[in-house]
Amino acid sequence: MATRIGVDIGGTFTDLVYFDERTGRTVEGKVPTQPSAPEEGVVDAIVRHVPKEVIEDAAYFLHGTTVGLNALLERRGAQVGLITTHGFRDVLEIRRGDRAEMYNLFWKQTVPLVPRRLRLEVGGRVRFDGSVMEDLDEATIEAAYAPLAEAKVDSIAVCLINAYANPAHEIAVEQALRRLGFAGGISLSHRISGEYREYERTSTTVIDAFVRGRMANYLRRLDAKLRALGFTGQSLITRSGSGSMTFLEAEERPVETIMSGPVGGAQGAGELARLLGEGTFVTADVGGTSFDTALIIDGEPRVLFEGMIDNMPIQTPWVDVRSIGSGGGSLAYVDAGKLMRVGPQSAGSVPGPACYGKGGTQPTVTDAAAFLGMLGRGELASGIHLDIGKAAGALAPVAAAIEQTVEQTAVGVMRIASSAMANAMREISFDQGLDPREMILLPFGGAGPLMATLLADELAIRNVVVPPLAGNFSAWGLLGADMVQSAARTKIVAFDTAAVGAIEAELARLFASIRGRSARPVGEQIASARLDLRYAGQEHWLSVVVPYDQGLAEPVEAIAARFRDEYARTFGNTLHDAIEVVSIRATLRVPLPRRRIEMPVPILSDGMTTQDTIDAYSFERNCRLPFSIIPRASISSDMSGPAIVTEGTCTSYVDADWKIGLGSIGELRLTRKD
Amino acid sequence: MRRHDPVTHLAGVPGTGQSHTVDPITTEVVRHALNSAANQMKRALIRTAFSPIIYEVLDFAVAIYDAELRMLSQAPSLPIFMGTLNFAVREAVRNIGGPAALSDGDILMYNWPYGSGSHPQDMVIIAPVFFEGELIGYAVIKGHWLDIAAKDPYCTDTTDVFQEGTVFPGVRIYRKGKLNEDIHRMVVANSRVPQAVCGDLEAQVTGCRVGARSLIDVVRRFGLDVYRAAVERIFDHGETIIRSFFEKLPDGRYVGSGAMDNDGIGDAQIPFEIAVEIKGSDVVIDFSEVPDAQGGPVNSPLPSTIAASRVAISMLAGYGEAPHEGHFRPIKVITRPGSMFDPLPPAPCFLYGWPALQAIEVIYNAIADALPGGVPACSGGCICAVVLWGTREATGEAWADGAPHPAGQGAWASGDGGTMLHIAESATRFTPAEVWEARNPFVVSRLALAQDSGGAGRHRGGPGLDLFIRMTEDTFITTVFERSKTPGWGLEGGQTGRANNAVVVMPDGTEHTVPKITHFLVPKGGELRMHTGGGGGYGDPSERTVEDVRNDLADGYISADFAMKAYPHAV
Repeated sequence: MATRIGVDIGGTFTDLVYFDERTGRTVEGKVPTQPSAPEEGVVDAIVRHVPKEVIEDAAYFLHGTTVGLNALLERRGAQVGLITTHGFRDVLEIRRGDRAEMYNLFWKQTVPLVPRRLRLEVGGRVRFDGSVMEDLDEATIEAAYAPLAEAKVDSIAVCLINAYANPAHEIAVEQALRRLGFAGGISLSHRISGEYREYERTSTTVIDAFVRGRMANYLRRLDAKLRALGFTGQSLITRSGSGSMTFLEAEERPVETIMSGPVGGAQGAGELARLLGEGTFVTADVGGTSFDTALIIDGEPRVLFEGMIDNMPIQTPWVDVRSIGSGGGSLAYVDAGKLMRVGPQSAGSVPGPACYGKGGTQPTVTDAAAFLGMLGRGELASGIHLDIGKAAGALAPVAAAIEQTVEQTAVGVMRIASSAMANAMREISFDQGLDPREMILLPFGGAGPLMATLLADELAIRNVVVPPLAGNFSAWGLLGADMVQSAARTKIVAFDTAAVGAIEAELARLFASIRGRSARPVGEQIASARLDLRYAGQEHWLSVVVPYDQGLAEPVEAIAARFRDEYARTFGNTLHDAIEVVSIRATLRVPLPRRRIEMPVPILSDGMTTQDTIDAYSFERNCRLPFSIIPRASISSDMSGPAIVTEGTCTSYVDADWKIGLGSIGELRLTRKD
Repeated sequence: MRRHDPVTHLAGVPGTGQSHTVDPITTEVVRHALNSAANQMKRALIRTAFSPIIYEVLDFAVAIYDAELRMLSQAPSLPIFMGTLNFAVREAVRNIGGPAALSDGDILMYNWPYGSGSHPQDMVIIAPVFFEGELIGYAVIKGHWLDIAAKDPYCTDTTDVFQEGTVFPGVRIYRKGKLNEDIHRMVVANSRVPQAVCGDLEAQVTGCRVGARSLIDVVRRFGLDVYRAAVERIFDHGETIIRSFFEKLPDGRYVGSGAMDNDGIGDAQIPFEIAVEIKGSDVVIDFSEVPDAQGGPVNSPLPSTIAASRVAISMLAGYGEAPHEGHFRPIKVITRPGSMFDPLPPAPCFLYGWPALQAIEVIYNAIADALPGGVPACSGGCICAVVLWGTREATGEAWADGAPHPAGQGAWASGDGGTMLHIAESATRFTPAEVWEARNPFVVSRLALAQDSGGAGRHRGGPGLDLFIRMTEDTFITTVFERSKTPGWGLEGGQTGRANNAVVVMPDGTEHTVPKITHFLVPKGGELRMHTGGGGGYGDPSERTVEDVRNDLADGYISADFAMKAYPHAV
């Protein structure tokens, strides 16, 4: 075990959780996010909630942030120049030709990060097998550089066709640019991604060049501030594909951290599932504006190898978290056809739900929940007092428009929001050929436990686990993130015994390239490998873990058999065709010391009464019932719903027909009565 | 031949006009559940499909219908397929003896073009859905099969429907849950790629079964009465949405015109006109004045024609929502049996999709007069499809590949056009050059936006693509590039974009223009040059801001010469 501090920056709040090795305690805290200077919010959270000696004692600082993501979404990044193979400078703009909104005649494609005038071409051509069809034309590099120099670009992305198969031309371009005097950052596609599909790799490389400077500045500022507070340990940031990496490596490979936001929760869910040692979990992370869901199978979230931000693909490991625009702040409104809709527009943190009394006038999911008594008396532990009158006032016009009472309308808002969330969970389960009814629901985030029994009823789920620190669970998840480094390369080759030598050589090269990075985590390194395999002639591949010990530690037939099994599980049938390798993936993992898990010390627990009840709406009974209001910390034995369980950073709504139990590590277990 | 009188078709089953017996909230929850049911079908299909054309290109449609063949929901897939499935179900069920002849566990196959609105390669699989012994609906998937024994892997020159593939006129591939092995052997015997086709058939069956189960779950959750009442309200709601769009438009008869380059056999251009009549909030799309059915395969069977009308209207007026039966109710379609938009057997219709694509553009062309600023100018107007095949030199193995391609989109009142797939194939993606090269014996020598290809205007049309492929082994191609003779029009003074075209440059340098050709040999060293069209411009070019023109020049979207001619005010 080692003392560690986790801070997760969300859109509304910056969440903190720390684990103190000396006392064995886990402590949580929350401060408002400071969008203009997010690192100040981090420092604020630490100064307010973490004792000086814990900061000094901490071995790790683990961070989840949306800084890179926001830089991308808000287009606040470097001015990037792009160099491509002759004839291919428009790949970034042509994309794959599809429309993100398929029923929208007027859908506009995302404006490319690099304007056409800064996309230049060089002569020379490599083929798919790495052979050189046409030598690199050095003179064209100089011609391509001139307009970039004139435009004073901050950084240059280089993505040449088939560079995944032979990077020599990209490397030569980098050398030439340096000779020509370019001093800014250069992102070479084969280093950033190494996988085929020129649009996706170009997009990834350009995003790297775009966010790198901003990310590096942010990480350096934050690290300096942490040091000033007395922190002497290692600073780590969550990867989009789970695990964490050092700040230094994140400066070099910022694309790997773009989606660090929702990963903390999924990773924490994985750790919790391993601790509890049971079943498949489906997560429900309900925040202010978005709903995120992930599946935890065999104690791990599923990792994909491509993600998408604002219609821009990113080839990097990516935890399979699905998001929809539905959360506590989602607005209810009446559309042109006189039906009520909920979301995806959100009241955000300003003005927020009407019941927050900060000027919001449109009804939100939180207003509906507050009106229905699902949030108890409306004295949130975070200090916010909910104004039920304002919630009713905001709901009234919508109720009038659909000719329903305010109560019916509020119930409707909750039902519509939960049906949209349940659909997302149904579909992520279905993609894996799994039935949500057999899973355990793991709700977290500010509004997850509020929606838990509603969502469970939608999906006919009978078991719910509300984790410790549910409201700050993403930050808690950060604390368990092992250090992970990875690299991948597309190499299409028949998968048979003859190919083993080539595969092992490629793996050796990938591990060497990882070890060659300037950031080298300290500790015992565990090497693992994956092969993306497919049936020859097909496009769909599956990534199969292969035991690795200086070479493939399993015969080809055994790996092939596992691929066939996995294929049958995923696609419902399997074939006996020849198998080929598409890509080879190498990962080095440095495990963090294990930590003890237990219920945290609750914050702001004073003054919570124990024998209170409130008339709240029961979705099971379709009427109001007296719900007991129970502080979570006071639960020590089995109880029965209906109840409202309050704690520092969230509220659990437990409908009638649900039982409440306490699990081995302090988790709440909600079980449907038969 | 007898000239038939025009026939009026309702694009949607009319509403009952009865007051609602279910609240708006339950309605919205049921709508979510039905959309989710269709999405689950789609995911099951993608998960189990064999061919990239299903799981990568998404060349399929998935929908759920009620027992009256009203579309309850559908999953994002191929729009032009989506509006055809009710016809296929009606014909397939009729052919086996009507709904009373159906049993739980039956699965039907149907691909007769005049009922499916497709070529025979597009196979419709239908699962009737029973709830407590009552037929309550159908789960349906139409998917593109790689081959079902047409005269060529892909054809532009058929002269009757029997050259276009083997016909399954509504047969049970499963009877009460049990595989009908006689039919299955027929499928295997009638395909150049039986393994892939059988894999995709099985995936479609799986998808339909998932759809059936999901629909039953929805009905069970809400109860049959509440579910049915909610469905009526969902349909009424969709109808209101579309009507609220059209009631703002002035009444009148608006005529749009377009042309097919040729019928695939001869050379003569085929001009046609479609009228859009708006009266109150009703829309009538009148195809009765179009020419007679053509001798080549550019005929759009009735279901395809009605689907084009449904797609055009619901994409324009549906606020980006997933369409269902209600959205189709305000639409009537008039066709003349025996015409190219309502051909009678055995007229060839392998290229049914191309007249349907043109029809969508022409409908917008007509609506432009009713609602200036409300529709975009013409796009490149085609999916610019190419199919390539051959035999590998080293191994003697057969190979085949193909894809649709993006073209420039029309500019509109609020912006320039982009470059993407036609709206009728809006979820489809084309294949990356690196994937193509790793798979096939050719080199992609150019993949670029074409300078000066978008129509000039206050807002300019989207540029077309130049996509060049150099063969490293002998290769056969079939190309289908419509609108090679008539570039996409501009609106409100905007100019035309460039037309689509495909050219083969032989190893000796001679050129062949091949926008529509079947089984053409491009020898090793030859190059196929695909030029996809540009979108039309919107508004007078003299109104384009000087800044926009300068940016287009600096970015090379236009040349200095083009700027001088089109935008003299800005140079």
